[in-house]
This record gives sequence, structure tokens and C-alpha cells, in this order.
Amino acid sequence: METSSGEPTSNGFVKPPDFRREESGRGGAAVESNGHGLGMGLTLRLVQELEGHSDRVWSVSWSPSGHTLASCSGDKSCRLWENLTTSPSSSTWRCQAVLEGGHTRTIRSCGWSPDGKLLATASFDATTAVWEVTGGEIENVATLEGHDNEVKSVAWNSSGTYLATCSRDKHVWIWDVQPGNEFECMSVLSGHTQDVKFVAWHPTKDILVSASYDNAIKVWAEDGDGDDWRCVQTLAEPGRGHCSTVWALAFDKDGDRLVSCSDDLTLMVWDTSADLADLSGSGQAQWKHSTTISGYHDRTVFSVHWSRVNGLIASGAADDCIRIFAENREDSSALPGESSFSMVAKKVKAHSTDVNCVQWHPTDPRILASAGDDGTIKIWEVIGDLSLVG
Amino acid sequence: MSSNFSGALKLANLNDFIAPSQACVVTLSKNEKPVQKGLVQLQRKPAARFDQTLKDTDEPVRVTLHDCLACSGCITSAETVMLEQQSTTEFLNRLKSGDSAVIVSLSPQSRASLASHYNLTALQAFKKLTTYFKSLGVKAVFDTSCSRDLSLIEACEEFVSLYRESHGLQKDTSSKKPRSLPVLASACPGWVCYAEKTHGSKILPFISTVKSPQQVMGAIIKRHAWKMLGIRPDNIYHVTVMPCYDKKLEASRDDFLFAVDGAQSESQLQIAEVDAVLTSGEVLDMLESQQVEFMSLEEAPLDKLLTNLDEGDHLYGVLGGSGGYVDTIFRYAARTLFGKEITGQLDYRTLRNTDFREVTLEHDGKVVLRFALAYGFRNIQTVVRKIKTGKFEYDFVEVMACPAGCLNGGGQIKPKKEQSAKELIQNLESVYLKEVDVKDPFNNPVVKGLYDEWLQHPRSARALDIMHTTYHNREMSLGSKLNDW
Repeated sequence: METSSGEPTSNGFVKPPDFRREESGRGGAAVESNGHGLGMGLTLRLVQELEGHSDRVWSVSWSPSGHTLASCSGDKSCRLWENLTTSPSSSTWRCQAVLEGGHTRTIRSCGWSPDGKLLATASFDATTAVWEVTGGEIENVATLEGHDNEVKSVAWNSSGTYLATCSRDKHVWIWDVQPGNEFECMSVLSGHTQDVKFVAWHPTKDILVSASYDNAIKVWAEDGDGDDWRCVQTLAEPGRGHCSTVWALAFDKDGDRLVSCSDDLTLMVWDTSADLADLSGSGQAQWKHSTTISGYHDRTVFSVHWSRVNGLIASGAADDCIRIFAENREDSSALPGESSFSMVAKKVKAHSTDVNCVQWHPTDPRILASAGDDGTIKIWEVIGDLSLVG
Repeated sequence: MSSNFSGALKLANLNDFIAPSQACVVTLSKNEKPVQKGLVQLQRKPAARFDQTLKDTDEPVRVTLHDCLACSGCITSAETVMLEQQSTTEFLNRLKSGDSAVIVSLSPQSRASLASHYNLTALQAFKKLTTYFKSLGVKAVFDTSCSRDLSLIEACEEFVSLYRESHGLQKDTSSKKPRSLPVLASACPGWVCYAEKTHGSKILPFISTVKSPQQVMGAIIKRHAWKMLGIRPDNIYHVTVMPCYDKKLEASRDDFLFAVDGAQSESQLQIAEVDAVLTSGEVLDMLESQQVEFMSLEEAPLDKLLTNLDEGDHLYGVLGGSGGYVDTIFRYAARTLFGKEITGQLDYRTLRNTDFREVTLEHDGKVVLRFALAYGFRNIQTVVRKIKTGKFEYDFVEVMACPAGCLNGGGQIKPKKEQSAKELIQNLESVYLKEVDVKDPFNNPVVKGLYDEWLQHPRSARALDIMHTTYHNREMSLGSKLNDW
């Protein structure tokens, strides 16, 4: 629940307090109505609870190898956690480092570069710090200034050549990563009319997506002549876009689909297979809304992540739950090109209060990390037959 | 929120823009009443610059534009709308009332904008505008290319002096604190306001102290040329026509007020160098609302007193749609410091994008001069960041807030229906210099005369007093901080 920037904590939706989904929810209905038989086939087992932060943990990020988990917190620090063994499902995670002194306010987001050598931390102090992690040494090698106020999210592109940040100042900045840990401002993108909450890069192309308090998702790409970046599409169609704050975004493994989560209690899946750069011909290629996953969340969904290994979608919400969704296969009732998803696992009270972030392990299909307002990070193992759902 | 101010100014002021439903929390003097409705009024001050009183409904907070600038450059959206509407009204009212002699100074970028719109050459447009303005009662129409030459001369001398100082080649006796390179151009008010607000003492010491062509023209007219015009400075209403709205903010700076003895009493009057600024678009609006047949206007002879017009009736000026600072200073420095004469176009190298270009001079196998053009907010970021981290390699940078420079200013006339923005800029760049001769500012006879008769020589005590300015850290007011909460 984000209160530091003075935003309303109520999303205006009125729900009966004891509204339960576990027994009577769509998971059960799906088994009955469309006969997919997915049901709630998986469960989450707590591997370990990582304590250490002295304030809410906002975000976690797995290093590309999966050996290190970075977490960032309202306590203005970032912690690095590593497992004493090579197995992430072993309860031997330990805090190996505390990155302090880099920021004067909450660290809201963190992200590893694709080569695992750099960690970026985005803070409410309006700066983004870059840390070089080499062997046992961690050094603050750059501080990116420029945003007017709180930086909300940071993301590296797939080749590690660009770094994107976004802020409450409504702008998205793209930085060019140069040799010698030099970062140059490549573009300052305006378009969102409110606080920008999240940025994410396509897994293979240099296309950036951003999510905002203005309910829209914007897609940014380089101009044809390569001189600047611009918004090539806005995903906010009335009736087919979110009707409240979009909190997070995640592409699937190939970047053909994007999932978004929102204060409007839904997840939306978008067909992002169209080549936006293909401007030849009269019809400009567009990304489209594919499906809405609704009826599962009771409160704001703060985080969503699409595993690049097992194909499952995980969500973290203000109702303290973690949910896992799988795509329904061979759905005869679905329109061609559309897909549908069902919930296949739900962890009630995953944290004692809001779940701020969920992140799948980059290589192990069963491992999921979560961060919560309760100041803890939890490592989970998915139990069940993944071949039925993934 | 007005979309007309430059990107740098808007970005810096985002949190300070107060939506029409809110109110500025800056309260002045005695008016302690809490604001009832979110009305912001401009208060009438003696200098009567940039103000207009709205209907007095609930006695809301009264703020003037230059108070806003002093506070933290906060510009309410209500005020931007008024700035846009009010300048033209005020201009026409002044002409009607006949109290003051109205003098118009036309920038070459606005001249090109109007010329392009009507498919004329710069000279034709200039002559027709002269006819138009004079038909309204304007006393004289001048050309800021002329004052720009003076500004460029001061900038050339400033650079060479600083270069020599920083390379241990000369002692600077004219200022107390030695400044170091790089020098960042000062002609763009969007850039200056952003630097004052966001970077303060980390960047301000590097900004050139030379006034912009607009302010130099104001200084010339109101502190010297008035004698030749036979009009007292306090009776002159000086209006400039500029390619952007940021120039309105520049004109309202307190630094650009000077004191003269009052007519009646022994009190001192504060006189503004520039009383009002009209954008190219506002001039077009005036022409259209008055249904002027611009094409059929006569081509009046130009007022040569402060205009770049040679004996052959040719306009002249420097290369570069944003004032030609790099172009002029580079050549001057090459000649003065290294004895190298550079003719023809400079060999610019495009860096990360077309708005970031550099030009270098080699001497004895080493690079001795490194100049750059940095236009647009993202490139300004790069410049500022490199200076702050001590990794800046340039000696001089022409910094402009607008991508593509002043020809693409926010106040320029918009592209026509079938015309793309890019096509318009290309057209403007060609119209800007078509049938305009390129001449060295040091050879400008008008400017030479101004030095001979008045300023003595570049960087003289008088030149430093009148043609140079200072910058100020602008702290965010408590009000603005609260507004950002």
C-alpha cells in the first residue's frame, strides 16, 4: 500500500469484508463450466522467510543466474541474499550484503543488468543509483539525477544497453549505458498524465512499456530515423483497458504477450506479437487486448510476473495473497486468437499485510520470491504437477 | 496547463504548475485572506509590466509574474493563459492610448516564421510588417539581428578572455572571482530558468553573463538610442517579437530593470528594457483577427537605426537559427587565439542525435577548441550531468531548450495543414538565410558606432554594467514544496 506519496489508499471499490474466493471462486467454476480440469492444482510451500529490513520491502529482483536475490525497502537500503547451497529451495538463504548510504529515502525498485554485474536502485529521493557487484566488492558507481521527484521503477533492456526509469513527475527517462559506467540521458518521455508506476522492457526488442496512475499503459519505441523515442501506442481503450491505476507489467518469455495488473482488481493480458516497427502499408500494426482475468482479486493487485521458465503468471495483492494463474489449453469456447486463464494456486496470508512484489526465479521453475509491507521477503516453492498447467 | 513554454521550463516547473482549481500559496504583503476560489490575479504594479487585473470577485491571492519568478519560477496555468492573451491586448491598448511611443523589435526567427507562412522572403516580410505596425501607430520597427551582433561581440570577448585565463595566458582584472570553462550560452531563457531552479550554483557559474539579443536591444533603445529617437526612456513602450513564450519570462526579470530619475520628483523610476513580448503566432493572430491583407501591404522602407540592412538593401546576419553563438565564437576564437581563419560552413559532427553536435579545432596536432550545440531537454541533461561529474570536455556550448533550436520555438507559427513539422523547420531554415548575407558581427557599422559613441569597447566597465547580467539560485518556496506533497 503506497502512502508515502500521499495517494489515496482506498480504491473506491466496496467489497463485503468476508468475501471469499477460495471455495466459491472461479477456480471451482472453471472446473465445472469449461471442463478444463485445472482447478487449484498447485500449492505454494514456504521455503524461507527472510528478515532483516526494518521497514516495508517494496521490490525484489533475481540476478540473471538466480544465485542472488536483491531486495529494496523503505529503510533506504537494498539487501542481497544468497543461498549457501546451489538449490534455491533449500532454506539456507542468508543476507550477504546491505547496500546503504546510496539513497536518502525509500528505495522503491531494484533491477539487475542482464550480465549480472550491475544493480540499479530507484528511490523516492529522485535519484537512481547504479552499483557494481564484482566478487565480494560492491561499489556505487553512478547516480542518475534528473527526475523531479520519486522514482518508482527501473528496468534494463535485454542487451543491457539502455536503462529506463519512471517517476511521479509523469515522465519516463531512457538512459544510454556507456562504457566505464557512464550513463547519458537519451530521452525524456512525456505522455502519461499522472504518476508512472512501472516500466518494463520487451524481452528481445528495444520496446519499453510503462504503467501509470492515469490508468493507461504506454508503449515507447525509437523513431524511424532513430533520432528520438516516442509513444507508439497507448493501451487504454475504454472498456478494454484498465479503469484504475495500473501497477505493474510483465512480458511472457517471447514477448508475444504482456500481462498488466491494476487497482481495478483485474489482470489483463495483451497480444503484443504485432511488429510495431512495421509501419509499411496503410494499417499500422497494433498491440491488442487479449483477455481480462477478473473475479479473483479482492483488493488492488500490486504486482504481476510472468515466468520465463514455467509460463505461469504470479500476482501479489493488497489482500495479502499470492495467486498463480495458468493459461487454459484447448479452450474450444474461446475465440480464435484469444486465450483464457484460470487460477491454479492461491496462498492466503502469504504476508501478514500487502504483498508488494512477486518475482519468479529466472531458471528454477518452482521458485517464487515475494516482498511485503510486513518487512519480509519470502521464498516459495511451487508444489504440484507443473506439466498439467505450464 | 499551457503547452507553449519550452520543454525545459515546463519540465522544471511541473510540480509548480497549479491547476486552475487550486491557488498559489504565496501571499503578498497585507492580503492574508485564505483563497476562496482558485483565482489567481495579477496585481497592478507601478511598472505595469505583464499584468492585468481580472474582475475582483473574492479578493483572492494576488501574485505578479515576476514575483512568481522570484518565488521559484512557479507559473500558474491561469497566468500562462493570461500571458498569452494579455500581451496582444496590452500592446493594442498602448497604441490606442498614445501615452507612450511604441517601438517594436523583430527577431529574425519571427521574421522567418511570418515570411514562411506567407511565402515571402525575409526582407519582404520585414517590410510589410513595418507597414503594418506603423499603421497601428508604432514609431519604429527594428531588427534584433543588430543587437545580436553586439551580444555576439561581447560573447566572443568573454570566451577568449576566459580561455586565456584558464590556460594561464592572462590575468583577468575585470572581475574578482575567476571563472572557469566551459562557457554555456545565456540567450535561452528556458535554459536559464531551468538552470536557476534545478541546478543553481553547480551550473550558474558557467553560464555566460552576456545578455540575450532581446535584452541588449532593450538596453540600447532605452539607455542610449532614445536620444536619437527624441523620446524619453520612460515614454517608450518596447515590444519584441520572439519565437517563444519563454522570452516573456525573460523580459520580466528584475535584473532587466534599470533606474532613471523620475520626471516630476527626485524619485527613481524603474524602467524595463523590454516591456512586452509578442510571439510570432500572436502577431499572426493579430493580422488575422484584423483581417489584414498581408500580401497586399506595401513594402515600407526599414528603420535602419537598429537594423542589419546594408547599403544595397540586403539584410545580413550570422549563420545559425539560434543566434549563431557557436558559429561566431568558434571562428573568433580560432582567429584570435590560434591565428586560424575559418571560412565556409563549420564541420559539425553529429553526436547522439541531431540536436547534439560538436565542432573541434586542431592546432599542432592537438585538439585546442571543443564547441558543441546542445538543444532540447535530454541533451541539456547530458551537459549538466557531465559538468556535475567533472567529465565535461567542451569549452563552449550553445544550449537551447527547444529541439531544433529557436526556429522551432513554442511561439512560432504552426505548420500548415499539409505540412509536417519537419518540413516546416526545413523551410524555416532556408527562409531564414535566403537573400540574407552572412557578415561578421565585428564589421557591423551600427554596432561599431555604439561602441565608439557609448560603450567604448567590449567588456569595458560600461559594457559589463549594461550588457551583462547575473543569475540567481531559486529555492523552492515552502508553498511550492507543500504543493508538491
